Amino acid sequence: MSKSYELITSSTDSLLLCLLTEQPMYGYQIIKELRGRSQGYFNFKEGTLYPALHRLESEALIEGKWQLLPNGQQRKYYHITDKGLAQMAEKRDQWLGFLNAMNSIIQPAD
Amino acid sequence: MSVGCLVDYLNNIKYYLRLGSSDEKEIIRELSTHIDDRVEELKENGLSEEEAASTCIRLMGSAKKVARQLYEAHSQGTWKQTLLAATPHLLFALLFALSWWPGVGWLLIILTLLFGMAIYGWWQKKPNWFFSWMGYLLIPVLLTGLLMFYLPRGWTWLAVVLYIPLTAVLVYHITVQTIRRDWLYSSLVFLPLPIVVAWFITVGSAGTSNVPNIQYVKYFGPWIGLSFLILALSVALFIRLRQRWLKIALLMISGLLTLVLVAYYADGRLGLPAFAILSFVVLALFVTPAILEHKIRHNQT
Repeated sequence: MSKSYELITSSTDSLLLCLLTEQPMYGYQIIKELRGRSQGYFNFKEGTLYPALHRLESEALIEGKWQLLPNGQQRKYYHITDKGLAQMAEKRDQWLGFLNAMNSIIQPAD
Repeated sequence: MSVGCLVDYLNNIKYYLRLGSSDEKEIIRELSTHIDDRVEELKENGLSEEEAASTCIRLMGSAKKVARQLYEAHSQGTWKQTLLAATPHLLFALLFALSWWPGVGWLLIILTLLFGMAIYGWWQKKPNWFFSWMGYLLIPVLLTGLLMFYLPRGWTWLAVVLYIPLTAVLVYHITVQTIRRDWLYSSLVFLPLPIVVAWFITVGSAGTSNVPNIQYVKYFGPWIGLSFLILALSVALFIRLRQRWLKIALLMISGLLTLVLVAYYADGRLGLPAFAILSFVVLALFVTPAILEHKIRHNQT
């Protein structure tokens, strides 16, 4: 399957917000979830995930909190905020509308 | 993290980040935990430590690109920071546009504010708005130097023995301290100074005695105010912009444009040599700190 990197880049924020609506996650976990669920389609450079997370955090859509794990390690977990939830709902509607419209053009019902 | 190339990778990111120390520490800590997790997983999949480290770096992507994107995610100041950064320029714009400057009360209030905010900013570990205030603290030092030209001839030794060495030490110390954060803030600190010198020369050459005349300061007041207003708007935009190259271009263009404005309203009183030298100084304000930063960081590594 060929990939549109432009499409992936423009949908990064929606992907991150969508994952974080399910549960708080840390960066490495997000990378693995995205790769696993998309069967390797969303497989971008790992370092570029953090600028996207920090940008969403600066826009108060998500919030990062350091947590101490039982094994003594510390990880920064990202939680979605109320503002992020509202934005995600809006983006989800936009995506579904877009996908329906696209499908009706490229896969027209007989 | 034991493998040297991973430490180098994180150091490279830190090198290009140019953010406040607390932001930098947190970013490096987060990336470091990610790298530890990734290396551990790669080793579990059968790679040696060296192979895991080099694969991890490849998966992370270019340190310079990651640092640039992180810089852009953090470099936009809040509206409160924007207002605070523009305030000293706005105060000076009002001081001249509304002819407050002859009142000792206003001058004292502004000087107190300058010192107060600079100390507060230093105590707050130099946030982005601090550097505008820092620049205006240097104006009294600069004016002292300019006024020394009007001292009787025998007093020149005072400038040579006291003023020049003390000012050089002060400017060097401020530049180095600012560069440790980001050389661009050093340009921000010194940007108003060529404008002040340009107006000083204009006002000085407007009279017959070649001494700055209060009447002429009043005459040029609205235009002096306008030049500080342009600086205020530029600094406000500087704080809000995310892209570094846009920040550099904005400050450079606004510095040069303000000089052009001074030359235009000076109506020939700011001669071509003075204009050329001051334009060169504005450009040097960007080139010198960048070179100094490169040398300091190169020596550190």
